Amino acid sequence: MKILSKLRASIAIAAVLIVSGVLFVDINDAQAEYGDVVINNYSDGAGMRPVVFPHWFHRVRFRCKVCHADLGFKFQAGGNEINMVKIIDGQFCGACHNGDIAWSVENCNLCHSGKPNTPTQVHESTVQKLAQPAGAPKK
Amino acid sequence: MKTNKLIAAIVAAISLTGLAIADSGQEIYNKVCTTCHASGLAGAPRLGNAGDWSPRIANGVGSLYQSALKGTPKGMPAKGGHMTLPDAEVKAAVDFMLASVKDAVKPAEAKKEEPKKAEAKKDEPKKVEAKSAVAAAPAASVAQAAASAAPVVASAEAATAGDINSFNRLLKPASKRNLPPPEDGIHDPANDGTHALQPPLSAFGVLPKSLSGNRVNWVEAIAQKKINPRYDRNDPKAEPIVMDLNIVREVKGSMPDVVYPHKQHTEWLDCSNCHPAIFVPQKGANAISMAAILLGEKCGVCHGKVAFPVSECRNCHSKKKDMAKAPTPAAQAK
Repeated sequence: MKILSKLRASIAIAAVLIVSGVLFVDINDAQAEYGDVVINNYSDGAGMRPVVFPHWFHRVRFRCKVCHADLGFKFQAGGNEINMVKIIDGQFCGACHNGDIAWSVENCNLCHSGKPNTPTQVHESTVQKLAQPAGAPKK
Repeated sequence: MKTNKLIAAIVAAISLTGLAIADSGQEIYNKVCTTCHASGLAGAPRLGNAGDWSPRIANGVGSLYQSALKGTPKGMPAKGGHMTLPDAEVKAAVDFMLASVKDAVKPAEAKKEEPKKAEAKKDEPKKVEAKSAVAAAPAASVAQAAASAAPVVASAEAATAGDINSFNRLLKPASKRNLPPPEDGIHDPANDGTHALQPPLSAFGVLPKSLSGNRVNWVEAIAQKKINPRYDRNDPKAEPIVMDLNIVREVKGSMPDVVYPHKQHTEWLDCSNCHPAIFVPQKGANAISMAAILLGEKCGVCHGKVAFPVSECRNCHSKKKDMAKAPTPAAQAK
């Protein structure tokens, strides 16, 4: 009987292992590009997906100075209080995203492409990693 | 006893589905893998081409599974880009492709093939055992068969998770770097625009590499003229006003002193980006510490967000101190 109960225990453990393996194998942490900025000041509230700004894509084409000096973007994620009115008036993103230099504002889904409820952040930033220990479950 | 039976049934069912999946390897190949693996598109190892497969088999079947499941920087997309495929089906497809070269590779690669063959042999009889147990199904033997089958399934599970570094939470494996937007976890794959965005690797291919951040050495990329980002948003010919002046900051402790190069910074930035808000342009007026940088102040306004992070100590701490001086007082103190 002792052997049987041992067997039972080992079977149960094996079953738990298998089930947990099936359940947890596919949990995926965000693997977005270093420096990708998620901007979600107003998007969620307006029923739009948050904006994902890919730094890498823009720095291949423009030096930092163009946006951060000429266009007045502050060095802070979500710190510029950008909204669509400003963009349409040619401020911030709208300085280029006007159909002349880059595609214009009609292409909503190219910017508003983030997963809903993603908080404003600089993805992969040191601060983000410090504030959130590496093993902690992602919010 | 009832629970035993139930568990036995579950385990047997799992191993049975395992058998069923093995048959579908070819179907998956025909549906998904054939796009690249028939013609060798983008350097993919071709079906039935032993030369393509033998160096890859050398690392073991486990690593091939991992490549198929998680993708490789060489161009294999995770699960061939079909993220909805169950892991087992992807593996079945790998097995199918491996089977196509088994005969051809064996004579030349007899040694390397052996462990894989042994593995296959080990699996087969046990699966059959589990199956026959279900067919016969006398209560006692089911429990026994289940007991012998359960560890097999468990060990198979362990083998697939056999990548040692998968436990290292800090080390991001190559397969998780520079993912295309639909797979990166930030973009919403359900959004049509997401799929129109440029995947990073299509741009990074020609750029010089680095060990951190995007894995691109952006400063070198400009120096080598691999990219020429505009300095003015309208005028493609505008040239940056580059200032070539190094500032040396002596640091405490044994770390090498910091050399701050204006040159590389003015290639990208305007003076007004840093002065006077972040750095007062006066010697000795700026207290900088690693703690401040880590929290996103001073250098950390960019370094650790878009410019290379603080893990690259020696990029800044680059001026060796005169170490000959240091040991002498210590020795005297003794």
